[in-house]
Amino acid sequence: MAAPAGTRRLPPAVVEIGVLFGFAVDTGIAAWRSITRGRFAWRECVGQMWFLAGVCTVPAILVMIPFGVVVAVEVGSLTGQIGAQSYSGAVVALLIVGQAAPLVCAVMIAGVGGSAMCADLGARNIREEVDALEVMGISTLERLVVPRIVAAVLITMLLDSLVMAIGIGASFAFQVLVQDVTAGSFLGTMTDFAHLSDFILSQVKAAAFAVLAAGVCCFKGLTAKGGPAGVGNAVNEAVVLAFFLVFLANVGIGEVYALGSGP
Amino acid sequence: MIKMLAETGRQFTFYVKVIAAVPRSLVRYWRHIVRLIAEVSFGSATLLAGGGTIGVVFAMSFVSGSQIGLEGFRGLDLVSLSPLSGSMSALVNTRELAPIVAGLTLAAKVGTGFTAQLGAMRISEEIDALDAMSIRSLPFLVTTRMIAAFFTVIPLYLVGLFASYVATRLVVVDLNGQSGGNYDYYFSLVLPPQDVLFSLLKALVLAMVVTMVHCYYGYTATGGPEGVGRAAGRALRTSIVLIMIVDVLLTFAFWGIHQELPGTGGGR
Repeated sequence: MAAPAGTRRLPPAVVEIGVLFGFAVDTGIAAWRSITRGRFAWRECVGQMWFLAGVCTVPAILVMIPFGVVVAVEVGSLTGQIGAQSYSGAVVALLIVGQAAPLVCAVMIAGVGGSAMCADLGARNIREEVDALEVMGISTLERLVVPRIVAAVLITMLLDSLVMAIGIGASFAFQVLVQDVTAGSFLGTMTDFAHLSDFILSQVKAAAFAVLAAGVCCFKGLTAKGGPAGVGNAVNEAVVLAFFLVFLANVGIGEVYALGSGP
Repeated sequence: MIKMLAETGRQFTFYVKVIAAVPRSLVRYWRHIVRLIAEVSFGSATLLAGGGTIGVVFAMSFVSGSQIGLEGFRGLDLVSLSPLSGSMSALVNTRELAPIVAGLTLAAKVGTGFTAQLGAMRISEEIDALDAMSIRSLPFLVTTRMIAAFFTVIPLYLVGLFASYVATRLVVVDLNGQSGGNYDYYFSLVLPPQDVLFSLLKALVLAMVVTMVHCYYGYTATGGPEGVGRAAGRALRTSIVLIMIVDVLLTFAFWGIHQELPGTGGGR
């Protein structure tokens, strides 16, 4: 996993990007191989899913309730000002389903689940357990990385649906109870304007974010070196990089969808 | 349940102690604070996460600002209200998006860094060594970091806010062909100067919360190299939840529950 020889002269950031890209390709190949040869590590995957669901669900709900209220306040003030209050249901639904829910899930998976994964793999790397696996002829990518990424994807997609429901519920309750929007018009415009394709886009986004976040966190964990401070730094870099990639991917996927669906 | 309450109590007393130690740190350890400010803002340029916090804040705000531009313009264009995208940028970027993104970035970059540093110090018993030398570790390590983050966040946040304004304008005016004058008119109509001040205040409060939470988890880390990483994860979980809750409370405090857009003549 170290930088290949002969790359000393390049700036470290360039080498890092190259190594990360190589890691992504290797992981893709390992995933394909472990599934086609029937040795996908189910046990590890289920264990990771259980762990991720345990640590991410409650914080995601706690984040989404205030987020739903913020969205309701801002949307309510904007639509109220131009006399389109009955449309706030549609705006809230589109915002939460399309943007907020996948982003909140990604932040949770990267920040909470990913940092724990990174710490776990980093500690194993420092204790040379990873090297021991390789010596025994067990591929670390197939055994450790692929099940983690698959678990992250599945849990993020499930979490996305849950968070969506919570967010829309919070917005609905706030608008109806505090901002005096009629419940019927909120629900009516919401069901009129929200399509199934928005939900599918949201799930695709959540899956893509999970791949990015879990992949980066595993990569940083497997390349950690140098004692407790090294693991801490690896987690730090992993989280920053994962957040940034997720935000960037959000713009990219949104644009592709917009171009594909026409004006 | 009792354990959770005890943990909350421990955290709370820790925060009170940190804040109470502010004068002592300012007088005794100001050199340390100056060094930390330099370290936090420009960073020790480590690989991709490097470029210092200022680069990360700029990049994150720019990306999320352009997302607001894209989505908001599309949404407003559907109901033929695209000229209002200027006011949308002034409203959403200033009041919610820029502070939240700055808070998240600080938590990820600065906060986790603090947890890693303090956690490593705790694991290698450096903090115990400080205490044994009768240097009070809390003012020396934690309060100095909080003060440093407090001073750093002012220019950092303004750079982030600027980046999100620029990104939204770039997307709406240059990419989607909205007229620039129209955009600027509605932008400045809805942006009274005190809103920027409130928004900065919001970011300051978020920065304080984030640094204190992350320092707490680093300061109390246990259990070898893995313990440091786990502490970072737990700290991020707490700080992300607190960022959102504090943000919504501050929104209500500054702008009220029934918000009015300034400059559009009365409200409800």
